[in-house]
Amino acid sequence: MGLDYKVVPVGEQAVMIDFPEKIDVAQNQLIHVLANEIKKMNKPEIVDLIPAYHTLTIDFDPFQTDSENFIVWLSDFLQTHLATTQVTSSRIVEIPVCYGGKYGPDLADVAKFAGTSPAEVIRLHTGSLYYIYLLGFLPGFAYAGFVVAQIAMPRLEQPRVKIAAGSVGIAGKQTGMYPVDSPGGWRLIGQTPLKLYDPHSPLPYYHAGDWLKFKAISPAEFHAIRRQVKAGTFQIKTTVKESGGLE
Amino acid sequence: MMRSTIEVLNPGLATSIQDAGRWGYQSSGVPVSGAVDEFAFRLANLLVGNQPEDAAIEFMILGPTLKFKGPTFIAITGGTCQAQLDGQVLQLNRAYQVKAGSVLHFKPITAGRFGYLAVKGGILIPLILHSRATTSRIQLGGLAGRNLQVGDCLPIAVFYCLSSLAQRQLMVAPRPAVKKVVLHFVKGPQWQLFSAQAQQIFTEAAFTVSQQADRMGYRLAGPALPVPAKNMLSEGTVTGNVQITRSGQPIVLLADRQTAGGYPVIGTVCLADLEQLIQAQNGQQFCFQAISVAAATQRLHEKYDDLQKLTTKISATRYQLPIGPQQVAGQRIAELFD
Repeated sequence: MGLDYKVVPVGEQAVMIDFPEKIDVAQNQLIHVLANEIKKMNKPEIVDLIPAYHTLTIDFDPFQTDSENFIVWLSDFLQTHLATTQVTSSRIVEIPVCYGGKYGPDLADVAKFAGTSPAEVIRLHTGSLYYIYLLGFLPGFAYAGFVVAQIAMPRLEQPRVKIAAGSVGIAGKQTGMYPVDSPGGWRLIGQTPLKLYDPHSPLPYYHAGDWLKFKAISPAEFHAIRRQVKAGTFQIKTTVKESGGLE
Repeated sequence: MMRSTIEVLNPGLATSIQDAGRWGYQSSGVPVSGAVDEFAFRLANLLVGNQPEDAAIEFMILGPTLKFKGPTFIAITGGTCQAQLDGQVLQLNRAYQVKAGSVLHFKPITAGRFGYLAVKGGILIPLILHSRATTSRIQLGGLAGRNLQVGDCLPIAVFYCLSSLAQRQLMVAPRPAVKKVVLHFVKGPQWQLFSAQAQQIFTEAAFTVSQQADRMGYRLAGPALPVPAKNMLSEGTVTGNVQITRSGQPIVLLADRQTAGGYPVIGTVCLADLEQLIQAQNGQQFCFQAISVAAATQRLHEKYDDLQKLTTKISATRYQLPIGPQQVAGQRIAELFD
């Protein structure tokens, strides 16, 4: 794995490890493993870590350390750990999705864009694993990709004022779910019955570094799962993906 | 510990329960939130003998009307406003005893935007992810994930005494009015992405706070900066980050900021100066001046030095009389000497 990175201060309360600016699964996995390793050090001055596409932002308490000292520690840590950091496995999280109809109002448009049938769009969308590069902007909002070029339809010109929570969409090469009702311009192809965001238990089922696998379900299954989710009996399906590398 | 409540008779504006923030979950996309004006919040907690992370009440422009069902101690900090406890005018930055049944009422803030009310022991609502901070846009934390409403009852503890009550005040010299307030900033991370012309506009022009200013961030009004042609990938955000939008307007990110953003960040306002922006008067001009990280750190320590001194003063006088239930009398005596 390349050791090409810079450590840059962000104000006096954070630093960012900046790897080459690219969307790359292997590099991103390294960032998530690194974030976990730093977390495991249990350093009291570290208050948060934000892994993103090619960066890892580390917030520290400026009353317990300062940028200069923290960078010295971090550079040392990276020197000793980066060379040996390895991604051994990652998780695949299955997301049940009811495609088309009122669940996915844009499915027909995406099919038209792709020059194919809605059934083929569903087959293509469920046929790949999508890597989660980061969770951000909203709790559980996954920046995941990538869909095959054929169905990579650009966003709507005019964003919708409200998209229902659980909606599954495509925005260019990206795909993902809306965890809460919000405005947005994604092409909506389906909806998951899973409750992706619950303010009483706000952490998502999936993490950055996991893979998403969409599974097509019928409206009847959608309602059945929704009932199980409400009753708290639904079990999310995850499997282990060995060696975590590129698909 | 005996429990009591505060009843909300009038919620005021955008009044919410905030603490030092929900740290540690940004990797899942959970915003930090917490008090926007950290200094004012910490001062309020310190004045009533709280831990720095205890939950307090934050309001914007107009504070709430509250009825205390049990005795406790309070302190009000932040934007300049007149608060009255059963008709008695309270000073800012000072601890007061509150009797059971007392009503606290605020007049609108006349200088600044955010005010804080700390109650001894904190607002004792349940923790979610180790924090009581409210992020209302995702219904997270606080009281039912929202701003306060009429009829809400906030759980607090009953307190009859607070050591060193007479020492629990901080004289804050009013800042002299200046034409342009300087906001010091640390360059980057994307400073280099901007053209020399954009950098020059950013550091030489005057900006004001626009109408779009809330707990997430303040959008500034001023000349538009030329924007880098290159799109960037989203990365983690930090309090004080100055993002430049596609239209060239700066947005300074605050407590409720999104955890990740895709706009380039020209600089990060140093924490010591952020309070002046947060509490900006309408129309106040600001300009940006670059400083080193070390200088920013130094400024931060100087700013919080007042809190450190106050802590020492309170601690040094904690065994002086009057202590205990005689404090009502003690407070009256203290007032006579004011």
